[in-house]
Amino acid sequence: MLLKRRLGLLAWLLTSSALFAASSSLRVVGSTTVNPVVVRAAEKLKAEKGLAIVVDTQGGSSGGITALADGRADVAMASRPLTDGDRTKYPKVDFRPVEIGVDALAVVVAKDVWEGGVRALSAEQLRSIYDGTFKNWQELGGPDRRIAFFNKEPGRGTWEVFVHWLYGDAKKAPHVAHLEVGSNEEARTKVASTPGGISQLSAAWADGRRVFPLAIRLPDGRQVTPTKEHLADGSYPLARPLLLITNGPPSATAKALLDYLLGPAGQELVRAAGYLGLRDGAQQAAPLPQKGTRPTRSVGALLAAPFPRPQP
Amino acid sequence: MKFWAWVAGGLVALIGAALALLFVVDALPVFRHSGFGAYLFGSEWFYRAERFGILSMLYGTLAVAAVALAVATPVGLGTAIFLAEAPLPRRSRLLIKSVVELLAGIPSVVYGLLGVLVLREVVFRFLAPWEPLSGDTLLTAGLLLAVMTLPTFVTLADDALRGVPAVQREAGRALGFSRGEVVRRVALPQALPGLVAAGLLALGRALGETIAVFLVVGRQDNQLPSPWWSPAPLAASGQTLTSKLGGAETFLAYDDPLHWGAMSGLALVLVLLVTATTLIGGRLLVGRGGIRAARG
Repeated sequence: MLLKRRLGLLAWLLTSSALFAASSSLRVVGSTTVNPVVVRAAEKLKAEKGLAIVVDTQGGSSGGITALADGRADVAMASRPLTDGDRTKYPKVDFRPVEIGVDALAVVVAKDVWEGGVRALSAEQLRSIYDGTFKNWQELGGPDRRIAFFNKEPGRGTWEVFVHWLYGDAKKAPHVAHLEVGSNEEARTKVASTPGGISQLSAAWADGRRVFPLAIRLPDGRQVTPTKEHLADGSYPLARPLLLITNGPPSATAKALLDYLLGPAGQELVRAAGYLGLRDGAQQAAPLPQKGTRPTRSVGALLAAPFPRPQP
Repeated sequence: MKFWAWVAGGLVALIGAALALLFVVDALPVFRHSGFGAYLFGSEWFYRAERFGILSMLYGTLAVAAVALAVATPVGLGTAIFLAEAPLPRRSRLLIKSVVELLAGIPSVVYGLLGVLVLREVVFRFLAPWEPLSGDTLLTAGLLLAVMTLPTFVTLADDALRGVPAVQREAGRALGFSRGEVVRRVALPQALPGLVAAGLLALGRALGETIAVFLVVGRQDNQLPSPWWSPAPLAASGQTLTSKLGGAETFLAYDDPLHWGAMSGLALVLVLLVTATTLIGGRLLVGRGGIRAARG
């Protein structure tokens, strides 16, 4: 009898302490692009201030926003701007995005395509790959190899930014069924190991050894590579903000995380991960209504920021 | 004690029923939108166009499971016969069996990583004459599942074979059967229901496996064979019920009753498939031969 009671007590203690631990740590969920920066910041904050921050990439940017909206996360990570769609879908959520850096979205190809001579693609050519008109790299001046297009899953920030650039609106993108990949790691591994492979991938993950970032051919014929310089001068068209989003004002722990990431040490982490920091002059990523207000933490400014538009 | 057993049993049954009911209720909008038949047998899934047909995912799930069973049953049966019938010292028998059962304990994400790093490559080379688009194919997923379902099958098949009473084997030997003939003419026919059950339970595992399949199946929608018996899609990527549910689309569907209904419908179909195979397998196992005989 006594044993039973003790077991019960033990079980109760275990469950209640587990619940307590879960509620006291800050849950950050979303984009695999933002993830490495936040993971490192969380390690630093745990070591320096003893803050408990749990980071997870389930579902990518839209997964993070969904988790934020239904209370499974305290902070969402997103590698795309917030859209009207997000706000109409979750009218009760008070989205408060904070931009922590800027990333270039690269189009990467496998080694055989790169060495076969494909170094740049235009938006028109990418549309033809996306809708399935082009099926062989020969049609694009490359090797005689089928185009293995690994599409980022719809719902991932990378996919949304990509189709917004190509079609002006994700809703207008053609209904296609491609091979699909989820995280950045998966996209990189699969393109690297598949002859004829191509995918959309954060430029910071395009290492130039396993996968090769293509230049974008602009309508005026210029070829722009996804480098930090071209991000900073605004010539590379596929730029996107890296966001952390809270529902309403951030909690104490969330505020500590945001302050750290916006401070010099955090911005160094952003740069070390291969992204552009906030003071590195990236005007193009998310044009703001008023110039010269960056870095910004104003909700309205970021909500108003449109997607990067296709070149006319 | 008996009382608590009843309460616990009832609770489990209640949870199961509530779960199924929840999926049915959640899936209602899509059944109303497309009709039940069009949902099950529609060949197109484009969620942004509100076209929800799950045939290609049903096909993917069944094709992957069929490949897994086609590979796992012969290999597993051989292993089980070796374990149960070969004159092994008790100690080495237990050693081999525990190694096989250890395979069952490896987390499926580890199998998935092995699949991404090794099996994709191997299958891509093997399929080279047919020019596959990538190493992510239904065949890759099926082969991976074969390794994963092998321990389930071997353990249960071994139990079934050992459940055949020794007297019957001795009678066979007395009639002048060789060791091989005893296996073929006495042990295997006697253990048949148990062997079929082992296959069905392995099938249940293959149908429900998610993460390992997710990583190597390619997740390409709307891949169907034409004509229906063509094996060509095995060498191409595809989508299974589980790989669809495991993807980011589940998060997109949230808060959109129709899209969410379509995803819930996938879960419902999956639960029904797995429950049916497991129930039939379990019934066979307990009914004749199988476990009861092994214990007796």
